[in-house]
Amino acid sequence: MKRLVLAVLAVAAGLVPVYWLLTISFKTEADQFAIPPKWFAFAPTLVHYKAVFASGSLESALWNSLIAASGSTLLALAAGVPAAYALNNLKWPAGWADSIGFWILSNRLLPPIVTIVPLFLMLRDMRLLNSIWSLTVVYTAFHLPFVVWMMRGFLAEVPREIDEAARLDGASPMRILWSILLPLVGPGLTATAVFSMIAAWNEFLYALILTQTGAASTLPVGIAARVTQYEIKWGVMSAAGVLAMLPVLVFAAVTQRYLVRGLSLGAVKG
Amino acid sequence: MKRFQIPRGVWWVAPAVGILALMSLYPLFFLVFTGFHSISGEWTIRNFTRMASDRMLGEAFLHTAVFTVAALVLELVCGLLLAILIDSLRRGRAVLRTALLLPMLLPPVVAAVIWRLIYNPQFGLLNGTIRALGFNPSHLTWTSGEGGALASVILVDVWEWTPFVFLLISAALQGLPQESLEAARVDGASRWRIFFDIELPLLRPVLALAAMLRGMDLIRIFDQVFILTQGGPGFATETISLYIYRTAFRFFDFGYASAMSLLLLVIATMLARGLVRQLRPIAAREAA
Repeated sequence: MKRLVLAVLAVAAGLVPVYWLLTISFKTEADQFAIPPKWFAFAPTLVHYKAVFASGSLESALWNSLIAASGSTLLALAAGVPAAYALNNLKWPAGWADSIGFWILSNRLLPPIVTIVPLFLMLRDMRLLNSIWSLTVVYTAFHLPFVVWMMRGFLAEVPREIDEAARLDGASPMRILWSILLPLVGPGLTATAVFSMIAAWNEFLYALILTQTGAASTLPVGIAARVTQYEIKWGVMSAAGVLAMLPVLVFAAVTQRYLVRGLSLGAVKG
Repeated sequence: MKRFQIPRGVWWVAPAVGILALMSLYPLFFLVFTGFHSISGEWTIRNFTRMASDRMLGEAFLHTAVFTVAALVLELVCGLLLAILIDSLRRGRAVLRTALLLPMLLPPVVAAVIWRLIYNPQFGLLNGTIRALGFNPSHLTWTSGEGGALASVILVDVWEWTPFVFLLISAALQGLPQESLEAARVDGASRWRIFFDIELPLLRPVLALAAMLRGMDLIRIFDQVFILTQGGPGFATETISLYIYRTAFRFFDFGYASAMSLLLLVIATMLARGLVRQLRPIAAREAA
């Protein structure tokens, strides 16, 4: 019993700050910072949520985030899944598959701040800064090591005999991957896609530097701009924060089973 | 002589390798190039020699080191205790485990925003509660005072990422050989003996993995510090990533920023080598 109380306390420590954000987003300005703090008894208002959508820039940030997250995920799957399949199932000269796979994975270990300066200079010289599409391609590269690593794991779980039998029947590798293997690893594919989307949705540093104008910025950048400016609109900022975390929670609930494998590659954090 | 044939798989991996070469390998070469050039475009090694005498960089390094070590130790200890605590429960494990994960799933920017609401010295939740209880919190400045700012930022990271360590250890605990634990119990070993002599040694690989994954993230910490303090007050919470960011995008000294990035890359690579050494056996086990 004592242990259950302790465990519940620990969970509360994790959840209370998030609950506080939630209440601030629904409180009028007078209630937000009342002393003593108002935990439950306050008249809820939707004013701040309306302001998020009225302020234009946050609404477009929401759309930009959606484009970058889904676009980069689709591209990364399109390039990464065939690579994973080839590395696992096709014939290679000795050592090639391991070396290529390892090089792809090693890109994951680069700190983002290390590549951000040259990427910024490259995109600036090509006049591709402040575009949500450039950011989408950057995110694609960011997801690729993760997609290849995850999909190699899932594909390796499919018995080799299935691949071999299909090949004996004369199916092309493309056909085998598309109509036989992918349906078998469907849940793993979904989990990989969801993790990539969350990573792009949460990402901050690349977005901050590559999309400095309001028109192309993503939701985290839009929120950050409101925190660091002189007068902070706490309500709007909290409402935007709640909107930013909702999709992540829904997606995470869907893929709970795969959390450990995905997270051990730092999937969720950008 | 046998003619060399390009393996078919090459075409399959080409798009992925191409994107990574363009977005990751080429920038690395460009980084070295920029690091060895002055602002006016001549070859120079001044960007590297300058690091040796840059006291601000030294301080940023110190903060990053303190941040990394303190957060790492706290997260490992809290994560381990939590995992053991939850594992020992008879009921409600699944629900509690899921609820515990929330902080690390949040966008880091949102997590930092939450703590701005809590830390604000005038009307934040912490000082508001203290005031409501009848105490005067005016000396408790959290992220706004030079003394406590770094510790306050560390606390946010511990809050956000202990769940991650917990998740890894928790999964490893479920995979421990129940027979030997049971045997020890039957032989009358105390709870503590079992923990220190059996469980802890078996958990060593996952602890090392968690330490290195967190360590890699901690040395490049940016988002939360950027939102919470912007490196301030003064220079109290400036980390390497923030200092590189400021050098490049506030002072537009890309050469010096590149030189510092290379230094960070060397450090991260050394950490990563350790990480890969830990990941390989685990990946092998998973594949088996």
